[in-house]
Parts: sequence; C-alpha cells; structure tokens
Amino acid sequence: MALALDLRNLPDADVAALAKEGREPAFRELVRRYERPVFSLIFRMVRDRETAEDLAQDTFIKVLNNIDRYRSEFKLSSWLFKIANNVTIDHLRRRQLATVSLDGSPHAQTAAEAQATSLDVESRGESALEAMESRELGSAIERAIGQLRPEYRSCILLRHVEGRSYEEIAATLDLPLGTVKTYIHRARHELREALGDLRE
Amino acid sequence: MDRHLLPEEIDLLLDGEVGFGTPPLKAHVRSCATCSRELESARVLVRTLEHLPHIAPSPMFAGRVMSRVQLFVPWHVALLDTVRGLVPQSRPLRVAAGALFATMAIALTALSLWAFTRIDAVLFTADLVVDRARSAAFGALGGALSALLGDAARPLLAGGALGLAAAALLLIVTGAAAATMLRAAAVRARER
Repeated sequence: MALALDLRNLPDADVAALAKEGREPAFRELVRRYERPVFSLIFRMVRDRETAEDLAQDTFIKVLNNIDRYRSEFKLSSWLFKIANNVTIDHLRRRQLATVSLDGSPHAQTAAEAQATSLDVESRGESALEAMESRELGSAIERAIGQLRPEYRSCILLRHVEGRSYEEIAATLDLPLGTVKTYIHRARHELREALGDLRE
Repeated sequence: MDRHLLPEEIDLLLDGEVGFGTPPLKAHVRSCATCSRELESARVLVRTLEHLPHIAPSPMFAGRVMSRVQLFVPWHVALLDTVRGLVPQSRPLRVAAGALFATMAIALTALSLWAFTRIDAVLFTADLVVDRARSAAFGALGGALSALLGDAARPLLAGGALGLAAAALLLIVTGAAAATMLRAAAVRARER
C-alpha cells in the first residue's frame, strides 16, 4: 500500500523503470494513470464501448509486455498513444474491409436478387449499455467528431482533449509536422461546419 | 490589411502563436467584425473540445489487463529483494543483525590476515588435507573394486593411481553399456 501511494507521486519515467524491474504495483499505476485517456481516445475513434475496451486492453498489454523496450528519453504517454492509435486504425481498416451492405449484393441485377441477398436487422430496444454510450457520445460535438476521418479524429483529440503539441502529435502518429497541422486545420473546419456558428 | 484573414491565419491566432507575423493579424481582428466573429467561433470550438471529459472503462478493466501481463523479475532484482527480505523490520533487530554481520566480517578479515602472514603453515596444512582426502578416496574406490571384481581387481590396484583410473573408466563404460541395453529392451517391450 505504501509503495502504491509513493508511486502516485513519481514521474512516468520512474514508474516505467520500476515496471522494468517487474514490480506489479508499477504496472498497475501505469494502467491507473492512463486507462481513461487511452480508453477515451479509442472510444471516440471507434464509438463502441465493448470494442474500445478490447482495443484499450490490447494497447496496455502490448505496452506493458514490452516495457523493457521503452526508452526514458521519450514520453511514455506518447508511446502509449502511438500504440493506441495504431491498434485503433488497424481495427478501423479491418472493419472497413469486413463491412457488408445491408441493402443486398452490389452485383444483384434485379430487385428480387437484392432482396434475397439483403440482411434483415431486427429492430430492438436500446440496451442499458447503448443508452450509456448514447449519453457519453451523444452531444453535438461528439457526434461531429464521429463524422471526421479517423486520421483527423486522432489528431484533433490528441491536440485538444489530451493537450499535446503539434510536434508531439507528429512524433506519436509518425506523421510529418505539416500533415498534422493540415489535419487539425481541416478537422477544426469540418467541426465548425457541422456545428454551425458557435458563439457563447 | 485590406482583406479578411485566411483560415491558416485564424489557426495561428487560435494556437496562440507569437512572433513576427501575428501583430498585424491581431490588429485586423480588432477592426474587422467578420474576422473577429470567425476567430471567436473557432475559440469556442477549441474550448468545447478542451472540456470534453475523459471516459472511464469498466471497473474490471485494470484487472483484465493485469491478468494478461507477463510479470518478469530480472535475477538481480530478485537477488536484491531476497537480501532485503532477510533484513529485519524492527530497528533493534536490524542493529543486532548489523553488529553480528560486522563482527563476522572483522573475524574473517583477521583470520585472512593471519593466514597471509603464515602462508607456509597454511600451504603445508592444505597439502596434508588434500593428501589425506586423496588416500581416503583411493581406499574407498579400491575397496569397492575388490568387492565387485574380487581377485581380478588385484592387477588394477597394484597399478596405483593409473590402475584405479583405468578401473573407474571401465566401471563407467560398463554402467553406460548396461543402461543403454536396458533402455533398448524397454523400448522394444513398449513397441510390442
């Protein structure tokens, strides 16, 4: 307990050094520190709680199982966000490939063929989990973020929700600085378009 | 400035950039209602984004992560932990253990120094001990050979150290051959 309390006051690099020594409390402390930022980033990217939990879990497992490769001259949070972003973008790409049209096969020649190959989705009531998701991501700004391209989404979230500098975002996402600036500029523009004239 | 601000220029002001290019932009915003409204709208967006809350995962999240993390303690850390574990927790016991350790260290140092000053006596004693140990080992081996081989062991025992070494080698080879044959027999029996 005393070690756990001490860990809260240590900088990330020191906690990571203890984790390299195999100290379980240090691993737990890293999860405690970053579970919300990492989960929030992923959740806002994929907009599905269960998937976000799985991807956030994969992110932490990758980071913690490879903690011996972490070099203290870099920010641990940047490394974590980099892996979270890669895991999420990979998932979104896979999901895009696996997308099935609900309206039937695109090769259908007649209405009957289209009907035969279409998928029936039952209308169902909103579960408690879905209701929570709706509340969490239901505001206009959250919906507008959800409409952005994934690349814009991760840039704008890292910039304004996580408060990262352009340089850090470029390093985290392995993108040129100019590209990051362009993405953030476009994301802001699209958000303002989506939200209309914003004034307090 | 006789035009409205470009989107990139609004971004510069939004990011709080300072330097050579920004004073004319700021001056223009002060005098142009359209650009002032644009900048304010962008600032509201940024403030809204900055106030988005972090969302918590489920309460079991950390536990699920930890159940799949491989904890590996390097040997030097494990050794250090073991040593730390041997150090008593209470202060008086720690002092007593320290005193005992210091006494032992001093005694060993004194013994080493004494042995160094009387190196001849130490070497003589060591030689004596090694000689006695070697005689005892040869005696035991000779006894075992006599018990195993009977009269056939006499020439080997008469050969001294060389004979004993040859006998030991013979014993090892015989043992290995017997083990190999037993193993082969067991494998054949299993195949049947």
